[in-house]
Amino acid sequence: MREQTEPRVKVFPMSEDTPTGLAGGAAAAREEPSGRYSSTRTPASVALEAAGRAHRPKEDAERPAVTLDNVKVSFAGHVAVRNVTLALPARKVTALVGPSGCGKTTVLRAINRLHDHTGGRVEGTIRLGDVDVYAPDTDPELVRARIGMVFQRPNPFPTMSILDNVTSGLRFNGIRNRALLREAAESALRHAALWDIVKDRLHQSALRLSGGQQQRLCIARALAIEPDVMLMDEPCSALDPVATEKIENLITNLAREVTIVLVTHNMFQAARVSDNAAVFLLDEDRVGELVEVGPTVEIFDSPRDERTKQYVTGHVG
Amino acid sequence: MTVLSGASDLASVKAAVRHRHARRGGRAYVVLRWAAAGIFAAILTGLVVSIAIDSSQAIAHSGIGFLWSGTWNPTANQFGAGILVVGTVVTTLVAMVIVVPIGLGTAAFLSELAPRWLASPLSTAIDLLAAVPSIVVGLWALLVLSPMFANHLEPFLKSVPVLEWFFHGPAYGPSILLASVVLSVMTLPTVVALSRTALSGVALADREAAMALGATHWQVVREVVFPGARSGIAASLTLAVGRALGESIAVAMVIGNSPSVPHSLLSPGATLGSAIVNQFAEAEPGIGTSSVIALAGVLLVLTLLVNAGGQALLRGMGPGRLRRRERHSITQVVA
Amino acid sequence: MIGAAPAQWRGEEAASSGDWEARERRRPVIQASARRSLGRRRRAGRFVQVLCVLATAIGLAPIVALVYYTAERGLGGLSWSFLTHAPVPEGIPGGGISTAIVGTGEIVGLALLMAVPVGLMTALFLHERRGRLAAAIRFGADLLTGVPSIVIGIFAYALLVRPLHHFSDLAAAFALAVLMVPIMIRADEEAMGAVAVDLWEAGVALGARRWRVARSVVLRGAFPGLVTGNLLAVSRGVGETAPLLFTVAAPSFAMTLLIYTEGTQPFPSEQQTAWSTALLLLLFVLVLSGIARLVAWRLTRRAR
Repeated sequence: MREQTEPRVKVFPMSEDTPTGLAGGAAAAREEPSGRYSSTRTPASVALEAAGRAHRPKEDAERPAVTLDNVKVSFAGHVAVRNVTLALPARKVTALVGPSGCGKTTVLRAINRLHDHTGGRVEGTIRLGDVDVYAPDTDPELVRARIGMVFQRPNPFPTMSILDNVTSGLRFNGIRNRALLREAAESALRHAALWDIVKDRLHQSALRLSGGQQQRLCIARALAIEPDVMLMDEPCSALDPVATEKIENLITNLAREVTIVLVTHNMFQAARVSDNAAVFLLDEDRVGELVEVGPTVEIFDSPRDERTKQYVTGHVG
Repeated sequence: MTVLSGASDLASVKAAVRHRHARRGGRAYVVLRWAAAGIFAAILTGLVVSIAIDSSQAIAHSGIGFLWSGTWNPTANQFGAGILVVGTVVTTLVAMVIVVPIGLGTAAFLSELAPRWLASPLSTAIDLLAAVPSIVVGLWALLVLSPMFANHLEPFLKSVPVLEWFFHGPAYGPSILLASVVLSVMTLPTVVALSRTALSGVALADREAAMALGATHWQVVREVVFPGARSGIAASLTLAVGRALGESIAVAMVIGNSPSVPHSLLSPGATLGSAIVNQFAEAEPGIGTSSVIALAGVLLVLTLLVNAGGQALLRGMGPGRLRRRERHSITQVVA
Repeated sequence: MIGAAPAQWRGEEAASSGDWEARERRRPVIQASARRSLGRRRRAGRFVQVLCVLATAIGLAPIVALVYYTAERGLGGLSWSFLTHAPVPEGIPGGGISTAIVGTGEIVGLALLMAVPVGLMTALFLHERRGRLAAAIRFGADLLTGVPSIVIGIFAYALLVRPLHHFSDLAAAFALAVLMVPIMIRADEEAMGAVAVDLWEAGVALGARRWRVARSVVLRGAFPGLVTGNLLAVSRGVGETAPLLFTVAAPSFAMTLLIYTEGTQPFPSEQQTAWSTALLLLLFVLVLSGIARLVAWRLTRRAR
């Protein structure tokens, strides 16, 4: 009997599939034929399926939302990540993937100048549209007002109500018009799929919500200032599978209007949700660097760099 | 070496050990410890009881109206704590008015603005203030501050039109204002140390969330850090009030020992603590001393209430957040 | 649209597509407001910064002034004879405060003799037992730290002076001990808690027979912390005046009392005595605090 031909994509050990157990769940939602623990579920196959069903109303040939050019970030002389040259296309989801400690979060936080107060030194150029983010005459507060950020653990302001949390960004930026605040809050909460849940308890403390709801509140808070770019630092890592699925759907919906940069160490999540992927790995000096970037499907299915191949097949990381 | 066979978890190990050493004459230790705890409990109850007993004579004489009667005139055999309570409250209040902005401003500076190499020695300096004996503060206030106030500050205050309502009348030195300043000097370290801990303890994640929305540094501090430090700051203020209420010797040296209604902050006055110090020596044995002791009782109740509140707030602040070195300096300023 | 959205999301879809124009309208308004308000927001921050620096300068003034004036006025009176001679009657030059120094030493020493064992043992008790009694005692210790020293002095008076009809060093020492015990209990318990729990339990597991050895492991480990805490308590006790007011036989027997009686007199030579004594006291207390801090600092460094 002839051996079954090698599947077109590499086979993964079962354990890769279990951390969030999502592949199966999301697949079921998308009416997929494969079962939960099918041996052909790999990031590449997931990406292929997601890409196959995607269609954009118009093809975006516009300039990238954010460009990074030869960016290097160091802390007290010690380099954390370097050789980052990357263009983040507008209104697409770009995933920054790689094992922990390779600089993905560092690069993300460099985009909205969060390293200003942690002593990180950023070299190279980062542009938000036309604006050089680190130019001496650029105001970091204004840069941050155009970028929304969601953190690893949900961090709603503990002393504020739900409504105050959502409108906080607007109020920080000088908006006082009550009508505008309410309108923006409702819109943001709807986009975060939270409106129906909280509309009757807007004045309760934000801490009464569950973990997943709090994270969606943080997303709403970031959305309320109408940013051009959303930075998300492993937003689902502290959440259960159900909450994770909701947020992944959210990301997919949001991407129609906002550019999203998503840091994740979960390859399956990247495959499900992102259009492009950038792979970060440690080089020989144990310094993080950008190894390869491209459409998600290609990265997982037919990577060009050998190290990327090693990573996506589970041999490293 | 004996391994306690069959002891499969720590709790049973501990129980077995206790059982063992009870048989072995480690009983001496148990007795000693219980004795110590017992002594301590005895002290606590003894404190309350002895003061209560010794003040009974005064209460019998003046009735329960002792607590609020407005006259304290030993020569006329009239003993009322009311005016003294008023004096205590007024001095503490004015002290808080001084200490709150300065203490919180300093705490904010040390926690949010100062670079680490500066914040550390400065906060040590302020903590050292807590170690200065109150008698030394009193001496300094009496011999250095009082002339300064009489010659420069008080005329100045009297000349400012709006403040005149608070500051008028003859000013010879001893005054409620001076006493309040002394109290603020003594409570400042408490407010600064605890508030600074509370401010520093606000999670970085919350600050970053605000920064990521476009807030300026001051906005982050005002909207996130200060509200987040609310309970710690409240604890520090409450404990400071508790300390101010009980401070006696330094206040006694500068307040003028005049248990009459003050007409301005520049006039002399008296507080519970200062009255105990100043009146004790001349008090007539019997009713006189008993009344002084009764004052101590009133002071005790007052401070216990305030301090219990402060301790509760302190506990609500988050016990896990204090690092060891902070705990040491706090022991110094709170104790 | 990517993927077939689950049913729950379809409703949101309808809302968001009509919402898009509103959001496009809002975006420039928000950006403009951010830009416009930035100047004001930053200026407010700088203003507050100035206020905070001012507050800090004022906050530092007392300790600086205290040390400066005490040193300036007290230094002149300090001399070897000042430290070693006894006080002389008024009007006669010379004399010192030796009786006060010795007296303070005796009283504080006696107080330590009473306070240290009680504090240590009670802290051990609290460390090893959980439960309502321990919680009550801990609460009591916290309360007692807040009791004004003058009330404690009155207590000592009521307990030991009034019934016996005479003042005594013992009564004074008792008052100081009552003052110091709660501080010691808290600090000692703290120090013991800092010793790794595994260390204690390892000691226990290693030999139920060697229970005393196990306990000595805790005591040895906690030793620096115990020293710190007790030093702080001593520093506090040495500087107290009010408890001594009602218990000590004569002001010349305690430094703090001497400062009080001499300092409140209108004569320069008496005031000089007060300043010099105050300087001595201040130096002693600051040195003790400094040592305690050093030990605590070494502790935290070692723990890292």
